[in-house]
Amino acid sequence: MNLDFSQIIPYIPFMLEGIWVTLKFVFFAIILGSILGTVLALFKIGSAKPLKWFADAYTSIFRGTPLILQLMIIYYSIPQLTGYDISPFLSAILAFGLNSSAYISEIIRAGIQAVDKGQLEAAQALGVPYGAMMKDIILPQALKNILPALMNEFITLTKESAIVSTIGYLDLMRRAQVVGADLFRNFEPLLFVGVIYWCLVMGLTVIGRMVERRLKLSD
Amino acid sequence: MIDVQALSKKFGDNLVLSDITTSIQQGEVVAIIGPSGSGKSTFLRCLNLLETPSSGNIEVNGKNLTASKKDIHKIRQQIGMVFQHFHLFPHMTVQDNLMYAPMKAKGVKKHAAEEKARQLLERVGLGQKAKAYPNSLSGGQKQRVAIARALAMEPELMLFDEPTSALDPEMVKEVLEVMKDLAKSGMTMVVVTHEMGFAREVADRVLFLDHGVLVEEGEPESFFQQPKSDRARNFLDKVL
Repeated sequence: MNLDFSQIIPYIPFMLEGIWVTLKFVFFAIILGSILGTVLALFKIGSAKPLKWFADAYTSIFRGTPLILQLMIIYYSIPQLTGYDISPFLSAILAFGLNSSAYISEIIRAGIQAVDKGQLEAAQALGVPYGAMMKDIILPQALKNILPALMNEFITLTKESAIVSTIGYLDLMRRAQVVGADLFRNFEPLLFVGVIYWCLVMGLTVIGRMVERRLKLSD
Repeated sequence: MIDVQALSKKFGDNLVLSDITTSIQQGEVVAIIGPSGSGKSTFLRCLNLLETPSSGNIEVNGKNLTASKKDIHKIRQQIGMVFQHFHLFPHMTVQDNLMYAPMKAKGVKKHAAEEKARQLLERVGLGQKAKAYPNSLSGGQKQRVAIARALAMEPELMLFDEPTSALDPEMVKEVLEVMKDLAKSGMTMVVVTHEMGFAREVADRVLFLDHGVLVEEGEPESFFQQPKSDRARNFLDKVL
């Protein structure tokens, strides 16, 4: 056995900094994905056919191609096509946000359609306008149904965020590789960030359970 | 108040309402009865355009419903509806259920909506349940809240779609009492019901539907004692 964790000790602050770097873009990607996903879900259940086609095509493309490919395309093609030198940070938010919105839109669509149709009819019969009805009546109830699936998506996003290391973004994963190259030992730093990823996901899981309990208050 | 002209409704090839013409006056209480599948509920749901008629005209207060699809929610604000399965908003307290639509759809101020909600809950005998969530209520209580919620919009007309059919027998009475009070107060009401006693006692007029056809209409006394059509007689023999 050739294991020596003491060697990574000087690098621990460097690697811990990666938590913040990872969380920063994951946070923005989740926000972007959720907003866009909600809009796409509303397109899908709405009555305007072109919007529905758009949302379906969008989902098909972003679910049908690898995330790492989408990330590379955004990172390399934008400078080539527009001359704008996009940062790894922005590329990562865009790629993960756009990709995630495809999945989130499906989750939300299913959640909305699972809400009792009577709720919609009751709101309509009261003369509540469509937008207010969606925001105040349908989406809050859908949210309760979809929270577990949504948390799952956020957890996946957090873990898969490691692939931004391929465009040189100094996230947790990339930092483990840098340390590994410095030390000529890879296992210890990889294991170290592995534990950190696991802690992040556990944190998300706990938050998810708390929100779920809070939403169950009315039962 | 409501004028229905040659109303027909198809679901696919299935004709559920066939050429119905009738009118309902201000302050009138009309009971719609008939066997299940006769189109009673569909007829009622056409009156606030929850179902879109396949042909024919419906006017409410002189406004043609199918022609005003764009601002249908304005017309719906004047038409309260009570459903068989209540459809209270489960994530809101009873009081918020009553306050939501007046505030969102009519722009009523919060304290006014709250005051109105309090009054209405007292009126249906549920003043102490204002802060409860719907899922903690019994069926009868839920339905009374649902009636109060519809009344909070101060409608000119109330539609009831089998309001007691989903209730345990011992809870039917409390809901019917509330509806009787409402009828006494002069509210225009259209009630799809299986409660023949209620139809007989409270309604000013009975419409009998069978297979989507308005077979017979008349005053409850004469209808229940001497129905003119065989179909109505058969039906009454079975339910009375």
